Amino acid sequence: MAGVALGFVETRGNTGTIMAIDAMLKTANVELVQRVEIGGGYVTALVRGEVGAVKSSVEAGAEAAARVGELVCTNIIPSAHEEVFEQLGVKK
Amino acid sequence: MYDALGIIETLGFTAAMQAADAAVKSANVSLGKWLKVGGGKVNIIIRGDVAAVKAAVEAGVQAASKIGTVEAHVVIPRPADKLAKKMPINPLSADKKQ
Repeated sequence: MAGVALGFVETRGNTGTIMAIDAMLKTANVELVQRVEIGGGYVTALVRGEVGAVKSSVEAGAEAAARVGELVCTNIIPSAHEEVFEQLGVKK
Repeated sequence: MYDALGIIETLGFTAAMQAADAAVKSANVSLGKWLKVGGGKVNIIIRGDVAAVKAAVEAGVQAASKIGTVEAHVVIPRPADKLAKKMPINPLSADKKQ
């Protein structure tokens, strides 16, 4: 079963998000779940994997995004509830 | 029947998902699909009985405010029937259970 930890990196503007996704996928063994756009320039990159991998990749992703664009916030949910996964349209 | 309706509106998707996770873990409630409102605002729909929804909204707001900004939150004990029919506030698991 894939890791259940979810990592979020949210930036304003897409360049930062693409940099963050690139850094995250290279840093650790995580899987890109979704890139969510909610208007107003807010774009969120969402990765999943083991807690340790997600933690290190989110840190790297946040740093990469901050260098290029405007980093809004980052978050790690170690073990999200199934309904949250269902919201994202992903199997836990 | 799910009667009470709780809504948490945050600025940012990350805070919204943190609110959803905290809410659904803190009480016996079910989530509706998150709503993209535009301008970076996201709504989390929480359904269940009144006490559970109140506790869930409280927990969600607290968790989300640590990460992002919570714009607004509300608990409607008995939403009007027409509201439930027209607005996308039915819980995701509704189709499974009914």
